[in-house]
Parts: sequence; structure tokens; C-alpha cells
Amino acid sequence: MAVRIKVKNAETGATVEMELEVENTIDEVIESAATFWSKDMGAYVLRRGKKVLRGGNTLKDAGVIANDVLELIPDPEGG
Amino acid sequence: MLEPLKVGSTDRDRYDRSRRIPWLDLDSVFRAKVLVVGAGALGNEVAKNLALSGFKKIAIVDMDKVVESNLNRCIFFTNEDVHRQSNKAEAVARGVRALSSDSEPRAVVRRIEDVPDGEFAEHDLVMGCLDNIQSRMHVNYSAYTRGVVYIDGGIQGFLGKVMVAVPPQGACLQCGMNRTHARAANLRFSCTGRDVVIHEPRLPAEITTTSVVSAIMVREALKVVSKKKEMLLQNAFYYDGQRNVSEEMEVPLDPDCPVHERR
Repeated sequence: MAVRIKVKNAETGATVEMELEVENTIDEVIESAATFWSKDMGAYVLRRGKKVLRGGNTLKDAGVIANDVLELIPDPEGG
Repeated sequence: MLEPLKVGSTDRDRYDRSRRIPWLDLDSVFRAKVLVVGAGALGNEVAKNLALSGFKKIAIVDMDKVVESNLNRCIFFTNEDVHRQSNKAEAVARGVRALSSDSEPRAVVRRIEDVPDGEFAEHDLVMGCLDNIQSRMHVNYSAYTRGVVYIDGGIQGFLGKVMVAVPPQGACLQCGMNRTHARAANLRFSCTGRDVVIHEPRLPAEITTTSVVSAIMVREALKVVSKKKEMLLQNAFYYDGQRNVSEEMEVPLDPDCPVHERR
């Protein structure tokens, strides 16, 4: 089953609409969005509301439904 | 019996203002043993805040030497350290001693991966001030599997993050990692035939974000040693200094996380 969601770029505020299968994983969404925005080769997480989503989960497992807005956030590596 | 109050006595107690915070258990703070891993910008700020907060037994681990480009964000490093090529851990330990004469800082000049496993269990708390994912995973595993609370900080330009991992029930750092973390970690160690090349990207960094992140880290440390777990972050804090927003977020425990499987 296909679902349409929005992914928001936390750094710029830009959003992109994605059409996905419920069996797609969060990892795949992160990588697609990061590639779309030509992000640096760093670490990113995707959050839904206040919760960080697990990379290996499918959209279905993560409870992502149509019209959800997920946010792509850089995971700061430096110290 | 209470000592009789003398005029001006409250101003002769270094920790008088801290003692006025009802939940803060200063005796536990004085006794706590803290392992600070990494003596870069974050390690400097964390060590400074720990020392001023009353922590005495602070071990600082870092194998690197001070260089000029450290000086715009490391309070304990000086030009003299650059010329002398001082070890970062020793420079921070010296600075902590200067701030708090009754503190007992200890410098450990080696890679964290070479520190004996037993070192983690000897501490009440581990503060991660690292600059790469591989080392974070190592420290996270070593602390979590020995039942020691791990407070990790990360900065990148004006972005910051703090995560608190409380074993045995809480999520650990690795629970919040995904394929992009694995890819970024692997980039550091690329094999070119016979040799392994270690890439160390120069990440953007500045002091104001470092200050914010280190303050949150040490505040959480105070809660941990004061046994105020209900006040702890649940369990991650994100900070964006460009937009002036900060937010608490939840990293759920991953039942498939290898750290929990091995515990």
C-alpha cells in the first residue's frame, strides 16, 4: 500500500513530499531525503513528533500514516 | 547539632549558593567519580562545569595534543600549550586543579579504546565529549554494559545534542543510530590496500553551542548523582542555535540493539 508523507528539512525548513510503500524503511526515507537535499555525508535521524524513529523499522512498524510530517535532523558528531 | 550562625559565614563557603538548591546532593557530588572522555572543546567546558559544580574526582581521557585551532573554544588551553605541544588531557587536568584546589583531576593520555575495561566500572558517570561515532559506540557499550550512566554530547556548528543513557532499562546511544551513522563511521576507516586510512573531517564548531551543550550535560550529571532520575532528560535534547530552538525528544529502546543483546 502506498502512502504520501512530507519530510521536513530541520536545517532549512524546506519540505518534500514522498510517495512510499508501507514496507519502506525509515533508513530508506532518511537516505532519500538526505540525497534529495544534497546533505553532507553525516549522520541524520528522522523524528515524528517527539519521537526519534528507528532506522530499521518499516513505515508500518513505525506507525507512520498518510499525511504525516517527519523531520530530518542532523545528529551532531563533533565534540 | 547545628553550628551557630556567624556574621559573613555564608560568604566563606564556596558552595553556599549551591547548597540553597534543595534537591542538590552536594555530598554525593563531592564523592562522585566522573570519567570525561575527550578533552576537546566539549571536554574543556564539561570539565570546567564539573569542577565549578563541586565534582572532585574527574578523570580526563584524550590522546591528542593541543594545537592552535583549539584556542578559540577551549578555556584551559593556552598559546604556551601549543608551543609545548601539551597533552590535552593534562592541560585540562591542570585547569581543573587551578579552578578548584581541592579537586583530584587525573589525566589519562591514551585512546579511549586502549583504556582498560575496568576503568568504566570504577566511575559513577561517564561524560562523552567525543568527535566521532566509532568512539561513541565504544564508550556507550563499555558504560552501558557495566551499568554506568552515560551522558553523551555532540556539536556541529550551531547544532547540539545531549543524550542520557541509563542502564539497564533506558535506551542507549546505539538505539538511536541508523544506517547513516554506520556509513559516517565507516568513512573514518577506509582501507586502501595494505593500509587503513583514518579520515578526520574538520567539523564546524564554536564556543556558544559548546557552552549550551556542556551546561546541559553537567546539569544532567548533577541530577544523576543526586538521584533525581525523575528529573532527567527523557532522553535526548536537541538544540538549534541558528533558530534558537531546543527540544526534548525520546529515543526509544531498540530491542534489536546489539548493546542490549549482549548485556
